Amino acid sequence: MVETMTIKEPMDALVDNLQVEPPKKTLIEARNVDVFYGNFQALKNINITIEENSVTAFIGPSGCGKSTFLRCFNRMNDYIDEFSIKGEVLIDSKKIYWRNVAVEELRKEVGMVFQKPNPFPKSIFDNVAYGLKIQGIKDKTFLEERVVKSLKDVALWDEVKDELKKSALALSGGQQQRLCIARTLAVKPKIILMDEPTSALDPISTAKIEELMFELKKEYTIVIVTHNMQQAGRISDKTAFFYMGDLVEYGETKQIFTNPKKERTQNYITGRFG
Amino acid sequence: MTHLDSELDQIKQQVIEMMDLVKNQLSKGKEAVLTFDKDLVHEINANENRVNAMELNIDRDVENILALYSPVAVDLRFVMASFKISADLERLGDNAVGIAKYIHNVDAQLAQKNLDKIRFTEMYENALAMLDDVVEAFEKEDTKLARKVFIKDVVLNEINSNAANVAIELIKENPEKIHNYLYLLSIIRKLERVGDLTKNIAEELIFYSEAKVLKHKKKK
Amino acid sequence: MTNAQKNRIIDKSFQVFGIVCTFFGLAILAILLYNIVIQGAARIDWDFLKDLPSRRPQKAGIYTAVMGTIWILVLTTMIAFPIGVGAGIYLEEYAKKTKLASLLEINIANLAGVPSIIYGLLGLEIFVRIFGLGGSVLAGSLTLSLLILPIIIVATREALKAVPSSIKDASMALGASKWQTIWNQTLPASIGGVLTGVILAISRAIGETAPLIVVGALAYVPFAPSSPMDEFTVMPIQIFNWVSRPQHGFAVNASAAIIVLLLITFMMNGIAVYFRNKWQKKIKW
Repeated sequence: MVETMTIKEPMDALVDNLQVEPPKKTLIEARNVDVFYGNFQALKNINITIEENSVTAFIGPSGCGKSTFLRCFNRMNDYIDEFSIKGEVLIDSKKIYWRNVAVEELRKEVGMVFQKPNPFPKSIFDNVAYGLKIQGIKDKTFLEERVVKSLKDVALWDEVKDELKKSALALSGGQQQRLCIARTLAVKPKIILMDEPTSALDPISTAKIEELMFELKKEYTIVIVTHNMQQAGRISDKTAFFYMGDLVEYGETKQIFTNPKKERTQNYITGRFG
Repeated sequence: MTHLDSELDQIKQQVIEMMDLVKNQLSKGKEAVLTFDKDLVHEINANENRVNAMELNIDRDVENILALYSPVAVDLRFVMASFKISADLERLGDNAVGIAKYIHNVDAQLAQKNLDKIRFTEMYENALAMLDDVVEAFEKEDTKLARKVFIKDVVLNEINSNAANVAIELIKENPEKIHNYLYLLSIIRKLERVGDLTKNIAEELIFYSEAKVLKHKKKK
Repeated sequence: MTNAQKNRIIDKSFQVFGIVCTFFGLAILAILLYNIVIQGAARIDWDFLKDLPSRRPQKAGIYTAVMGTIWILVLTTMIAFPIGVGAGIYLEEYAKKTKLASLLEINIANLAGVPSIIYGLLGLEIFVRIFGLGGSVLAGSLTLSLLILPIIIVATREALKAVPSSIKDASMALGASKWQTIWNQTLPASIGGVLTGVILAISRAIGETAPLIVVGALAYVPFAPSSPMDEFTVMPIQIFNWVSRPQHGFAVNASAAIIVLLLITFMMNGIAVYFRNKWQKKIKW
């Protein structure tokens, strides 16, 4: 009794179920980027485009160049002696390594959250308002509005609303990191770079920040470097795998984690590395 | 609601939708046997493509969830259960198609009294009722309801084991219609499979909700 | 004897040796202090502090020396503090790590080790003769400033270095310029360390004798300086002067002056410790 039906075109029905999303705008683009530290080439001919309102994860073993690349987007590498870059990095179609670009202006557009929570030794309020104050904004009500909004956006408001004058250093690690994100949001950047933002946090705080990223990507574009592959899987839309200064593979996170095209990627994400 | 929750919810909705489709296929199968309506057969076949596509869809989503979110505990059991349930549902759909196929092969409508003799309608209703219970149990995560399925399956098994004798009787009465009666017996056998698969789904459900494995356990 | 027992004995004996070393210096100092206090404590009174120098030990006071020291203290601070801190900030935060920078760095470290008499000669040539300041308070202050600049620079750099780079990164990443970052973050976070360094350097300066003698501070000044261009004397010179006299009365005076000088130095060190504790407790990374 053979009863198998010939499946005509199940893929057709499948495609019908997919919603067609409008193409997103490219916000970050790197063209043939080479980075050197002295004679050491840290990045080799990197080409990548990152879309607006997405979360992109950079993964790869230590020293693969992912952090270096991330820091090219807000030129935080500028202070490293012997650092040099070739090729072009464009943000919002503007070449950011042009001589006439004011780095301070760039960094208002491209915020950054670091590995270890690094609040300033100031009050919670002053931490969040810092980015605005250094722009010369003194309007009290404006500052207050922004601080409150930023703290609400990172779901910290309810926890700290009665103690805005308290030192930020008194907060827990997870709260500090959310404060650091709020501090970045207050400046209203387009892009938020995150350099292993949860590697110093406990699992609950990590989960909170991951959830936060889903909210934030509605308004911001997030690029995150992470050592935690599961984290990249959970939170990112696209994943880029770096190895020894090469961009080995870049694609939809689902594809990278279920069917990587390159053997090296597969070896890394399955933990069979080297 | 965490992001994983919304992904899981999406899977749940897909499984429910697939359940409805299969239920629809099976109940059309019953109508087809009773009314000898060949249009229904076409409908069942058309639905089959959708069921198969949904299975692929769920498979893909399950793969993604496992790869990206590494779910644990109840979430993991839910994903595993959904994966198996969708496979069971696909085979339920195949059975519906199988039942429909026999309509094509039977040369005349089966007499109501013969159907009654073999307890066809009773069996089919029972099978559909089981499926209804399972769907509701899945939606409401009601393991009590899921357990009812096991009781109803006993009736199906009983009808099935008597069916051979009934068929022999019918063939003896009307040897020239042996063809049709053999097909009728095959339908009964298929319904028995439907009962088993539905029971499997109920077992997966209980595994997911209560982390209890009921498979391969001797039942009293 | 097992190896472990042997090690324990070595351990113990080194501990004893360490304790002896620690108390050696302290014991000597205690003996010195004891002698001085016995000899001079009774001599200190209000008159001693406010009397002018005199040939008769019972009438002599340290007023001019104290005032000279205070003048030197204030002027040196005013000159050395901004220059030293500024140079420290430049070297630590702005200067690129070039060959020139490392050359500068080595030289500054060397300067800190140059004997103070050399600074005195330098001051004599440049400030006294070329600038024509004469043996004035200003010339003395400038000379002492040169002397303690390397110390202040090194202390400032150490204090700035202690500010974690994560704080500076955070500030820069928010769009702050280098100066905004230094002014708003680095300096407030390191001010305790900077001040500690400055105070310790200045308390060294007020104990200095040799360069001031070379520059032209006088042993006998009958009046307290009233402007930076006046002649002056300072306490170490006064003490030296008294000690070298044969009369017993002056020896007592010297002891008393030493006590006063030590008190001033201890007080300044105390202030330095207070600053360090106050700021370092507030900021924990």
